This record gives sequence, C-alpha cells and structure tokens, in this order.
Amino acid sequence: MISCTEFIPAYSELFRYLEERGGREEVMRFWEDLSDRFLGNLRALVEEHGLRGCWLYWSHTLNEEAADFRMELDEEAGEFRIIMRHCPSKGLLMSLDHMEPYHDYCGHCDVLYRRVLEPLGYECVADLSECDEARCSITVRRSANK
Amino acid sequence: MPLEVMDRRASDNEYLHRDFHGALSSALIYLEEHFGAEGLRDYLRRFALSYYAPLREDIRERGLIAIADRLRAIYDLEGADYSLQMGADELLVEVRACPAVAHMRASGYAVAPQWRETVRTVHEAICEGSPWGFELLEYCEETGANRQRFFRRSDAQ
Repeated sequence: MISCTEFIPAYSELFRYLEERGGREEVMRFWEDLSDRFLGNLRALVEEHGLRGCWLYWSHTLNEEAADFRMELDEEAGEFRIIMRHCPSKGLLMSLDHMEPYHDYCGHCDVLYRRVLEPLGYECVADLSECDEARCSITVRRSANK
Repeated sequence: MPLEVMDRRASDNEYLHRDFHGALSSALIYLEEHFGAEGLRDYLRRFALSYYAPLREDIRERGLIAIADRLRAIYDLEGADYSLQMGADELLVEVRACPAVAHMRASGYAVAPQWRETVRTVHEAICEGSPWGFELLEYCEETGANRQRFFRRSDAQ
C-alpha cells in the first residue's frame, strides 16, 4: 500500500515516468486528464457557490495537507487568493535526500486548476516564480466578460 | 461581505489528506488506459525502487523487522484494521479492510481496476535485491482486504 502521505513522491515520479515515455506532451495530457477526472468537486463547488466555491475547496485540502498559507476571499471585488508561504508538497520533495523532484513539479497546479476555472468564467493566475523555495500564489478573478 | 481571511501554519494541522488516494487511483487508470497494465506496473516498480531506497537498505540490515515497522507506521496512520504475524523467516499480513479503498468508495472516487498493484508490485519491488520475497495471497477487489506474505527466498544466503 502506498500511504496518502507518500503520494507526493509517487506523483513527482509519475511526471518523470510520463516524460520519459512520451515527452512533455504526455505529461500535459495527463495533467489535463487528471483535472477532468479528479477535480469534479472543485468544479461542482464553484458552479454552486461561485468564488466561494474556491474558498470551500481549498479550506478542506490545504488544512488536510498541513500547508502554511494565507487565503483571502473578497466576493465584492470578485477575487480569491492563496498565498502559499510553504507548500507541503514541494517542501516534502525538497526534503528528500535520495530523490530529485520532477523538474516542473509545480507546473501541474497551474494547468489543473486553470482548466477547471476558466470555462466557468474565471481568470486563474499562478505566480510560480518562487516555487524553488516552496512558495507560490494563485489568484482567481471573475473574468471581465462574465 | 468584508474580506475573509484564513491564515494557517503547518503546525496547526496533521498531514493526512486521504483524497490523495483518489488522485493516485486516477493516475493508475490513466496509466492503464495509455500504457496498459504492464506500463502501470513498470511505473509502480520504478517509483518503489526509487522512493523506498532507504527502506530497502534497512531491509538488507534488519530483515522482516524493517518491513513490519514500515507497515505498522502506515497502517496505524491510515487507521487500517490489520494484523501482523512474525516468524523467523516469514511475515504474514492480514488487512481486513483497506483504508484507501474505503475512503475512495465513501468519497465517490473511482477505484483503479489495478489498485491491487499498489500492494503487489510495490512490495515485490521493495524486496528486490534482498533475501526476502513477497506474494499477495488474497485480494478483495471490493474492499481492498488482503493477505500478504513476506518470506526468505529459498535461494537467499
């Protein structure tokens, strides 16, 4: 059995495996497939609650992942934001002495969530410029034409 | 409604996100659909050889005790109903209900048809290159309940 606490290294190694089998395109295909197949709960929450659906979704996941974060919801301004001070997933990968994280491990977050949120009328912007230090942010806004 | 804020430190929560079982299951379904059961097993073996390298080293030094320690750690953490029976050259494991499968079924996640390979292929790979072997004696597709056996290989010194 692979414990849920061992999933992140399994995930990182999967990206590496897929890239070896089919190049970067194969990794992207998998991320899109996973978004469609696995993030139905985020999609349903945002369809029902709008931006608050993001708050509800990440309130559950980030607390269970023991993340170090600040989350903001401003429904009047139409903006939701996560400031990740220390990502537990990237932090875990960086703490392993015997394994290297997949070179674009953090890229999956941007692809998976944008693929859910953009068709629902939201703009999703990820700042991964500090992800090598396990820090990032995601901002979700109502699209101007919604 | 004013700005709402949630601010958490890592120490505020325990790290236990069971939905990751569903994510792994989705990944295994994808692998089987695109690379077949052989590709799925190939990935799991490579992951196990890489990630469990420290455990594999420990097994070469401490044998079955290292395996039992690892199983107790993850099964206790996940709240599994299980028992271990340790002999001189054999470790029997009975998992009466797999907590990962139970969570996926309760949460509506699809359980990968090849989910049993997270036990069989992973444990075979963990034993690779050591005096110990592994066999999955029984596996229930519905609940993930299983019986496992780690044993000293007949060709081992």
